[in-house]
Amino acid sequence: MADQSDIIDTAGQDEAEIRTGLDSAIAGSTKVLAWAIFAAFLITVIEVFARYVFNSPTFWAHETTSFLIAGVFLIGGPVALARDKHIRVRMFYDSVSPRRRRMLDIFNSLVALMFFAGLAFASWIMVSKSWFNPSGALHLEGTGTSWNPPTPALLKLLVLICVVVMFVQTVFHLIAAIRRETPDTSATEKGH
Amino acid sequence: ADYDWTFQTSETAGEPGFENKQKWADEVGLLSGGRIEIEILPIGAVVPHTDTLEAVGAGILQGHLTDPSYFSGKDPAFAMMGNLVGAWSDPFEFLGFMESGGGNELYAELVAPYGVQFIGAAATEPEAFVSRVPIRTVEDLKGVKLRAPEGMVYEIFSKAGAAPVSLPGSEIFSALDKGVVDAADNTVFATNQSLGMNDIAHYPLYPGFHSLPMIDISINKGVWDSLPEDLQEILTVSVKQFSFNHIYSVRQLDAAAVEKAKENPEIEIINWSGDERAKFRRIAQQEWQNWAPKTEMTQRYYDAVTAYLEGRNLL
Amino acid sequence: MDLSSIGIEYGSYLLVGAIFLLLLTGQPLAWVTGCVALVFTFGWFGPMALPLVTSRIFGFITEYSLVAIPMFILMAALLDRSGIAKSLFNGMRILAGRLPGGVAVQTLIVAILMAAMSGVIGGEIVLLGILALPQMLRLGYDRSLSIGVVCAGGSLGTMMPPSIVLIIYGLVANTSIADLFIAAITPALLLLGFYVAYVLFLCWRNPQLGPPMSREEMAQESVASALRALAAPLFIVFVVLGSIYGGIASITEAAAMGVSAVLIISLLRRELTLKMVQDSLVHTLETCGMIIWIGIAAAVLVGVYNLMGGNRFVAQAILGIDAAPVFIIMVMMLILLVLGMFLDWIGIALLTLPIFVPIVVQLGYDPIWFGILFAVNMQVSYLTPPFGPAAFYLKSVAPKEITLKHIYVALLPFIALQLVVLATILFFPPIATWLI
Ligand code: NA
Ligand code: NA
Repeated sequence: MADQSDIIDTAGQDEAEIRTGLDSAIAGSTKVLAWAIFAAFLITVIEVFARYVFNSPTFWAHETTSFLIAGVFLIGGPVALARDKHIRVRMFYDSVSPRRRRMLDIFNSLVALMFFAGLAFASWIMVSKSWFNPSGALHLEGTGTSWNPPTPALLKLLVLICVVVMFVQTVFHLIAAIRRETPDTSATEKGH
Repeated sequence: ADYDWTFQTSETAGEPGFENKQKWADEVGLLSGGRIEIEILPIGAVVPHTDTLEAVGAGILQGHLTDPSYFSGKDPAFAMMGNLVGAWSDPFEFLGFMESGGGNELYAELVAPYGVQFIGAAATEPEAFVSRVPIRTVEDLKGVKLRAPEGMVYEIFSKAGAAPVSLPGSEIFSALDKGVVDAADNTVFATNQSLGMNDIAHYPLYPGFHSLPMIDISINKGVWDSLPEDLQEILTVSVKQFSFNHIYSVRQLDAAAVEKAKENPEIEIINWSGDERAKFRRIAQQEWQNWAPKTEMTQRYYDAVTAYLEGRNLL
Repeated sequence: MDLSSIGIEYGSYLLVGAIFLLLLTGQPLAWVTGCVALVFTFGWFGPMALPLVTSRIFGFITEYSLVAIPMFILMAALLDRSGIAKSLFNGMRILAGRLPGGVAVQTLIVAILMAAMSGVIGGEIVLLGILALPQMLRLGYDRSLSIGVVCAGGSLGTMMPPSIVLIIYGLVANTSIADLFIAAITPALLLLGFYVAYVLFLCWRNPQLGPPMSREEMAQESVASALRALAAPLFIVFVVLGSIYGGIASITEAAAMGVSAVLIISLLRRELTLKMVQDSLVHTLETCGMIIWIGIAAAVLVGVYNLMGGNRFVAQAILGIDAAPVFIIMVMMLILLVLGMFLDWIGIALLTLPIFVPIVVQLGYDPIWFGILFAVNMQVSYLTPPFGPAAFYLKSVAPKEITLKHIYVALLPFIALQLVVLATILFFPPIATWLI
């Protein structure tokens, strides 16, 4: 049974894609963070049993799983960036010379930095509105239920954190791209 | 037009409320002699339904026509004012409280800090209840797995002995169909009937008793302040007109839908007696008392509502 | 500079053009769409409108029905790592016997079963992608054929009840969800039939595309051993379908029930290890990240486009047509197909249904029939480049050497089949409505 697992492993666990120290730290942290998915799974199963077998559905399962999974989705952004797993259209990118590719990498990093900066600005406004009420007092936005956990405020903060992390990751990618040496272009042009 | 605005609503484009809100926008256009043009967008078109208050305050949207319960996470007063469960079985009672019992003033005060100007309140007919099992009395609610939106409704049904389940709106149909839940809080009878809810759950409770949401019609404060007085008046008056139109149109649609439902011999429409409604309201009242002390505003609202209901002999 | 001065028509062209251009640079798709949406928000409405962007991010990630996606991916990852996937396909291969393309046909049948288990797509394609693609390649199946079967089969979840697409359509059109579900079954089976026929035809012409077992291999295997291999996967299917149709779990929860079934089975097979669970969870987290951020970006784009007045622009385009009603429906289909190249179905539904459905009713057509046309159209949108969610989902789990280009090329014939079915329902409405 080694063969098909090998295929998945090369697709999923390829450490070669990790470009910077920050990226590998983020990739490493998933070993802990990913258990949030397991928690969401367990809670869902508990809810089904509580409801179907004991006829006493919980009041907390729905909001808790939504929170955990939303958090997983957000964290997935920096994680996929760390492993360079975000989907790109590579047809043109792969066909150019290493020098041009380096220029593209620099350009793309700059565009992404602008994007994350805009997101960070917008998230900052969103976070301040969910952590403070209009009079300026600290008040964490809740789900509005009787239980009212402050999960919206926490998730909105997590949006800001993830965006800032991706900004910093991209700064490192930019530095790496600028420093990267490319082989002599004449050598690649011979190949065409 | 001098003023081009985008208002987001809390309904999908097919619900009767959406069409009525579009008619309101058309009327504002006519009354203002074309100076105001409002585009009505369905739920989620620009921002999620929970975020319209902030979007209106920030000027991203110029206004909204929505259910204030969606902002309960910001302030519990929104939950109480948006839908005081069990309090109203007739929209005109509710509107009477808003007009003469102090409701309008309190709500305007609640939204003002968000940079939002409250124009006026509207209401719909009480929502119906969808059920696979006959629920004829409060007693019958015991052990019934029913879908209820989290919040005040959830707690009240829990106190009434039911087993409330949290489910998102998109899961209601399948969950009822397969029997994951026995009953569900959904929307007005007419819409439940067109969605086919009553065809899979044969014991609708109608007229409803548990839920009568407010419709908040508000506008960005800066936009409002910049308006000449005549346009402000046109908006205020047209909202009252909308409120009547909406109630009568839903009432008519509900009546037609009841006729349609009666054609299906398997469907039994259950109408709770006055006694059962009062019993349920008494349970609901305990939960209002739990919410009252949460903030200064919830307390003031609770006091105003109970004073009004007592004055009308409804408690 | 005020971008809004160019007007919605040129604004729409600029928006699409910018996305295309930036895509070519090799920038991650999620950042391309998101960045264009952000720049348009800023340029059209000014900096005070930027919270719209993050508001939509928050709205998208807290969408409860998406909870099923990580559960399906986790199920797939566990199935793969436990070896249950391999025995499933070994069993299927034996059952297929001497029939060229037999395993691909059985994969399509697995796909329709999974379509009946879930309302959201994404989960199914990832599941099939992890489960079926490496196995079909291992058995010597043609790469393009395998990719097409996985993506087209995995997309069937939009049609086959329970279907979130149809539920959302019902809510928007205020029409019976029960009737929509019934009407969807025949077209879904028709699509399945077309896919099966296509696979069988190709493999009959050239058996190398789907190599059957040799006579020697056949002699070694028995139906009994095939059934033994299939027992565990069948149990898992039974748990998921049973919890939905037995009224035990909601559609979203059923995916978690499937995960527990996989865990129990692998425990019984003595394959369950902490490392296997850990690896599967990490894999799920990464895959979710790449899938969800594309959806997030598309959601942002739809929000700003609606605010720009994009919906009015589309409405005027339709109302400007002075032609036979059926022609108007065809134009709507065309608009849906074009939008399907750039947006995910939730965005398309938000954008077009409020405009289209009233017109359809006004023209005297059955909204149920139009709902089915919409659902088939959204299936097409899952496969069409440049924004083809099915292709992305598959890419997220496919072996590295399979590029997005390979996937899109492989999908072309399947898109053609979907278009044939779309046209069939368009011109013969009873195919959808005969059971109602
Ligand atoms: Na489905
Ligand atoms: Na597409």
